[in-house]
Amino acid sequence: MRNELFTKEKERQLSLYPRIEKIEVKYTGKPHPGSLLIMNKALSTPYNCAMHLSEWHCKKSVLALVDGEVWDMYRPLTKSCEIQFLTFKDEDPEEVNKAYWRSCAMIMACVLKRAFKDEYSVNLVKAPEVPVISGAFCYDVILDNRLNDWQPTKDNFNSLTKDASKLIYKDLPFETLQVEAKVAREMFQHNKYKIEMIEQKASRNMEGIVTLHRFGDFVDVSEGPHIPRTSFCFQYEITAAHNLQTNQPELIRRFQGVSLPVHLRAHHTVWHKLLERSKWLVTEEKIVEAAAESLEEKGGTEEEKTLSI
Amino acid sequence: MRLSVAAAISHGRLYRRLGSGPRSRVDLLRNLVTALVRHERLEAPWARADEMRGYAERLIDYAKRGDTDERAMRMANFWLTEKDLIHKLFKVLAPRFQPHPGSYTRLLQIPSRDGTDRAKMAVIELKGNPYPPLIRPRRDSEKTLLNQLLKGYREDSRREAAPRLPEGTPL
Repeated sequence: MRNELFTKEKERQLSLYPRIEKIEVKYTGKPHPGSLLIMNKALSTPYNCAMHLSEWHCKKSVLALVDGEVWDMYRPLTKSCEIQFLTFKDEDPEEVNKAYWRSCAMIMACVLKRAFKDEYSVNLVKAPEVPVISGAFCYDVILDNRLNDWQPTKDNFNSLTKDASKLIYKDLPFETLQVEAKVAREMFQHNKYKIEMIEQKASRNMEGIVTLHRFGDFVDVSEGPHIPRTSFCFQYEITAAHNLQTNQPELIRRFQGVSLPVHLRAHHTVWHKLLERSKWLVTEEKIVEAAAESLEEKGGTEEEKTLSI
Repeated sequence: MRLSVAAAISHGRLYRRLGSGPRSRVDLLRNLVTALVRHERLEAPWARADEMRGYAERLIDYAKRGDTDERAMRMANFWLTEKDLIHKLFKVLAPRFQPHPGSYTRLLQIPSRDGTDRAKMAVIELKGNPYPPLIRPRRDSEKTLLNQLLKGYREDSRREAAPRLPEGTPL
């Protein structure tokens, strides 16, 4: 249902530009800065610009920096601009890391949605914005009431991981769509948490436009851009599920996982250590605590230095 | 067991045939070793540089024995045709490489020679030479995904290992 609405909306937005208009895109990056590319308005994407430049750009670039704003690779360009590409091995790949974590969380959400039988309902809540250093990406889910006492076993996680690997192997592209808030509300009418998120986003944006992402059949709202294709993930594993303690009556479960991209593969010994670490619960307060602790430690060492003087 | 030697097969032969005969080969390598000890960085055909590398490293191993050793002095005397370099070998290069157990040279390939022979060229240099480096190994930045995950892992294990103070103790 969501898929059809998404396709309809995409076709409608395409039909707004019946005649092809050209825009000038200037590439300001390492190999050939200042090269001018002439692309189609609302049709060509940063990926097309990369195709004009070289295969290396296509394979390595994860996000595009359009006029200083971070864009998906498959989001159509709307006006003449300056473009730069971001990869995993830049000096400051923070945006890229965040986008990768978001994409992995979305893949996990898709897998969870389809894992259970149709009689059990699965409500996706949201993907909390966790920094990469915490060790795992997470997604909050509310399962059916009958599954409240069920604890997932190692075999369950293995099968979930296999589903995710199937998705990654299919190499599905992540499509973006900028949509008005009411269309988004219509799409997610059965999920109140998603409606809340849409309201929040629409209030933050001036025109009330919400970004939706889709890969394969699964449509979702998220905070920011995603990686271009699912095949960018190499090692992917869903490791743990924890129950969150909240005031709400329903049981919210946090599923966690780790993943590494094709460009940054790890040896299996290192990978197993990262897996072990990702099984611990990741909370947003812990990260704030950890930051405060590290500040305290630094403050402590400074005090010692002053005392020794 | 080897019943006959076929003419053009040379499987497993370690010593290359350079120059015009074995005497010429040794002279060629000796000149190259002398030049390496004098200039510490040399551009030569890859086969000659590769052949010379073993001899140069063994010469430095001999030099590490010290100049009082008779055998080491005779080796240095044979291999270095310019006799002022014997002093450099024993007094400069031997102390420089004293802490290292081996591998005192670096061999890097270069684009082929411009002349008609298009020979495979290489640069051979002694480590620790005063010239600017030939290649700069570029490490991944601290902030890549893998490095961030590893950093988090390290900090967690450090926090686990560190002795935990009970809450409320004055710092």
